[in-house]
Amino acid sequence: MRPPRPLIIVGGGKAGMAAAIETARAGLDSTLIDESPRLDGHDARTLRADFDRGEHLRQEFREVADRVELRLGTSVLGISGEREVLWAGGGASGTLRAEQLVLATGKYDRPIPFPGWTLPGVMTAGGVQALLETKRLPPGRRALLAGTGLHLLRLAHRLLASGVEIVSVLEAGTPQWAAGAFPRDWGFLHDASESREVLSRAGIPVLFGHTVFAAYGRDGVGSVSYGPVDPGDWRPQKERAKTVEADLLVVGFGFVSNTELSVLAGCRQQYLHQAGGWVPVRDRLMQTTVPGVSAVGVGAGIAGDLVAEEEGRIAGITAAERAGAMTAKGAADRRAGPLARLRSLAEVCAALDEVSRIRPGLLDLADPDTLMCPCEKVRLGEVQQALCEGACDLQAVKLLTRLGMGVCQGRSCGPSTGMFLCRAIGRTPEEVGRINPRPPVRPVTLGVLARLGGVTSSMLADPQDAADGDAS
Amino acid sequence: MRSSDVVVVGGGVIGCAIAYYSAKRGLRVTLVDQPKRGRATSASAGGLWPVGESMGLGCGVIFSRAQAAVGTLPGAVSHPGQLPTCFFDFAIRSNAMFPALSEELRAGSGIDIEWERTTLLFIMYDEGDLAFARSLRELCPGGRDLMGWLTPEELAEAEPAVTREARGALVFHGDDQVNPYRLADAFRSAARKLGASVLSHTEVTGVRVQSGRVTAAELTSGLLPCDLVVNAAGAWAPQIGRMVGSEIPVRPVRGQILGTESLPKLLSACISTNDCYLMQKGHGEVIIGSTTEEVGFEVGVTPSAMKSLSAGGIRAVPSLEHVRVKRAWSGLRPGTPDELPILGPIEGVEGYLNACGHFRTGILNAPLTGLLIAELACGERPSFPIEPFLLRRFVAERDGPPTVTKRNGPTSLFRETRR
Repeated sequence: MRPPRPLIIVGGGKAGMAAAIETARAGLDSTLIDESPRLDGHDARTLRADFDRGEHLRQEFREVADRVELRLGTSVLGISGEREVLWAGGGASGTLRAEQLVLATGKYDRPIPFPGWTLPGVMTAGGVQALLETKRLPPGRRALLAGTGLHLLRLAHRLLASGVEIVSVLEAGTPQWAAGAFPRDWGFLHDASESREVLSRAGIPVLFGHTVFAAYGRDGVGSVSYGPVDPGDWRPQKERAKTVEADLLVVGFGFVSNTELSVLAGCRQQYLHQAGGWVPVRDRLMQTTVPGVSAVGVGAGIAGDLVAEEEGRIAGITAAERAGAMTAKGAADRRAGPLARLRSLAEVCAALDEVSRIRPGLLDLADPDTLMCPCEKVRLGEVQQALCEGACDLQAVKLLTRLGMGVCQGRSCGPSTGMFLCRAIGRTPEEVGRINPRPPVRPVTLGVLARLGGVTSSMLADPQDAADGDAS
Repeated sequence: MRSSDVVVVGGGVIGCAIAYYSAKRGLRVTLVDQPKRGRATSASAGGLWPVGESMGLGCGVIFSRAQAAVGTLPGAVSHPGQLPTCFFDFAIRSNAMFPALSEELRAGSGIDIEWERTTLLFIMYDEGDLAFARSLRELCPGGRDLMGWLTPEELAEAEPAVTREARGALVFHGDDQVNPYRLADAFRSAARKLGASVLSHTEVTGVRVQSGRVTAAELTSGLLPCDLVVNAAGAWAPQIGRMVGSEIPVRPVRGQILGTESLPKLLSACISTNDCYLMQKGHGEVIIGSTTEEVGFEVGVTPSAMKSLSAGGIRAVPSLEHVRVKRAWSGLRPGTPDELPILGPIEGVEGYLNACGHFRTGILNAPLTGLLIAELACGERPSFPIEPFLLRRFVAERDGPPTVTKRNGPTSLFRETRR
C-alpha cells in the first residue's frame, strides 16, 4: 500500500496555488486537485481581468511545478476517516490518503429567492461569467442586473462589451465605495470604478438602493419588476414596483463559501455574517480545529483574491513546517511577509465585507408560492407550515418538507432558508443550524463509485489487504 | 412544569408512535427529544418487511454474507438464520396495522405517510441463492401462501429493470414500504393535535425515583413530574436506562445507505439481493442499503460502503450504472444481542418502561410498539404478549449460562470495518 501523500491541496485557485508554491519551495511534495481542466479556474469562474492579474502566481507555480502532482479535471466527493480523500474524474474514482490537507474550495453565488427566480433567463452572476468565458455567446438580448457588490458593475461592463443591451444595474446597497476612486493595488475595486464610468458614459443607470422584485414569463423571463428597498435592512418597497421588459436577469447577491469538505473533514464551523455565513474556525496560521487540515481562500470566508493568495502562502509554509521540511524559525521568517500583507489587507476586507453583507429584508421578496428549494420544489408556504408544526431548525424543516434533500444538498436553499428561519422565529444562526452535507458533494454516477479504486468491495475484509488503487 | 402522565424519551419513530397512541388513550404525554446525529429514523429506507426481515433478508442477508466472508459464521451456514417466531408474529401484527394507520394518520395529522403495497423480491443470482430461497419457502413460519416464486421470465415481466442475469425471485407478499420520516412526523403531529406536548432540543439528564417509583424526569429545561418514563432513546437507550440503575444491552450498529437522484418509475417492488436492498421511494429516488457495522457512535460514510452499495445496486438493476448518486448517509441502529426489541417494565423500578432495541425494524414495529406501550401506560394487560421482549431475558446471562437462544448468525461477532 502506498504511503499517504504528504500534502493534498483541494482547489487550484489563487489560494490553492499559493499553498502549493510555498510548500514546494520548502522542499515538500504536494498533490493539487481541481475540478477544472486548467489551473486558476480560468475556464469558468474568472473574468479575464482577474485571470490576467493572477499571472505572477502562475509564473511562480511553473517554477516549482516538478514538486506538485497535478490532478486536474478531478472532483473531490468527500473526506472521511483520517484525511482520506474520495475523488472522481475521467470516469474513474478512488481514494487518496494525506498526512495533511489544505482545503481551498472556493465559493458560489448566494441564492436569494424571489418570485420567478428559477425561470430560464434568470442567471447567477457566476453562471453568466462562465458563459461569457467559455461559450463567448451573449446569454440574452436585453438584460437587467440586480444584486450587490462590485462584481456586478464589472459584469455589466462585460455584457455591454459583448453586445447585450443593459436596462439598468440595481445595487441594493448604498455603499461608500460608490463615492470615490480606489488605489490601483486594490485590484478589482479599481476595476469596478472603471466599469462604472463606462456604464455611465453609455447612459446605463446604476440604481443604488434598488433591487429586483420578481421575474415574469411563461417559458423564460419576459419582464422584470423592481423597485427601491429600505436603506437599513433592504426590505423591498413593493408598492413602488416598476416593470420593464427584459429577457435576461442577472442576479448576484454576493457569495457563499464552499464548506462541504471542511464539514465532512470534521472541522468546527462558525457563523460569520460578514464572511458570507458558515465558515470553518481557523487560527492565524489557517489551521482548522482538525489537526493537519487547513482551510484557505474564499472557501473559508468571503474575501478577495489578494487575501486568498496570502492565506494560501501561510497555509503552505505551515504545512511544510509541520511536515518537518522547515524549522520553526525558518517558517516564522517566511510567514512574516504574508502575515504582514494580510494585516494590511484588513481594510480591503472590511470594505468587501461591507459590500457583501447581505441584509435580511431581502427575504421579504419571496411570497408563499416562491420556491425556496428548487430541487425538491419546496415553496415558502411549506416552510412556514413546517414552522407551525413546531420545526425550529433547518434539519427539522428538511425532514418535514424535503427542503435540501435534492441533488444540490441544500446549496440553493440552505443559506436563504436559514436566514428566513432566524428572522421568522427569532433564533440565532447557530440554533437554526445548517443542512449537513453528505458525500458525494459533487455529481458522480453509481457506475463510477462502483469502480472505486483503493477500497475492497467486501464490507468486512481487512482494508490493509487492498491495493492503494492509485491511478498514478 | 405541568406534570405529565407519560414522559417519552426520544423523538424517533418509536417515541413518536408511543406519544401518539398514549395521547389517543387520553394520557397527558410529553415527548422529549434531543436531535442527535445518526438517529436511525432519519437513515431508514422505510421497508416494511415482516417476512423478509424475519427470514434474515434486507440488511440481514448482507450482514450474514459479510460475516461469511471473514469466516465468523459456523461452517455449514452460508445464509442467515431466521429470527424466532415471536418476532415474526410481532412484525406481522405490526405490519397489518399500516393500512388503517395510514388513513388514521392522514386524518389526524394531514400527513401522507406514503404507505405503498410493493411486495419484496429476493433476487436469485446463482445456485446458492436458489437453494437458500427453496429452504426459506419450506421454513416460513407464516406458511407458503406468504410467498411466491417468479421464474426468470416472470421476473423480467414484473420488473423489467432487474438484471436478466437473475435466476428468478422469491416474492414476499405483504412486505411493503412507507416513508419513514413522514411516518414519524405524522405520529408526532397527530399526537400534538391530541394534546401531547413536544419538547424539542431538550435532553433528559436524569430520572427521579423515590421508594422504587419514578416521580419525575429531569430535563435541561427543568424538572418534569410524571408517573411514567418510557425509554425510546434508540441507540442512546443505555444512557436513559442507567438513570434508573438498569443496564440495557443496546449498542449502535451503523448502517450506511445511498440515495439516487429522482428517476421515473423504475421498480414496483422492493428488492433484496445477496449484496444489498433497493427500493424506489415516492419521490422517485432509489435507496440502496445498507451496511451493518459496529463503530460506536461514528456516523460518517466510508468509500468502501459507497463502492459495495453502488456495485450491488448496479448488479441488481444494471441501468443504475449511469444514474447520479444524490447522497450517502448513515444511521445508528439500536442493536441488541438477540436482535429482538426490548419492551416493557423492568424489575425493581415502577413507572419505567423500555421501548428500545428495535435494531433494523423500528419503522415496521413502531405501530405495535406504540400501541402496547400505551396499553401498559394505562395499566392494562397488553393485547399482544410482550414476555419474550422483556429486559429480564438478558439478566440470567449475567448471573449464569446464557438463556437466550442465539440465531445461527452469531451477532456478537460484528467486526469493525474501519481501521
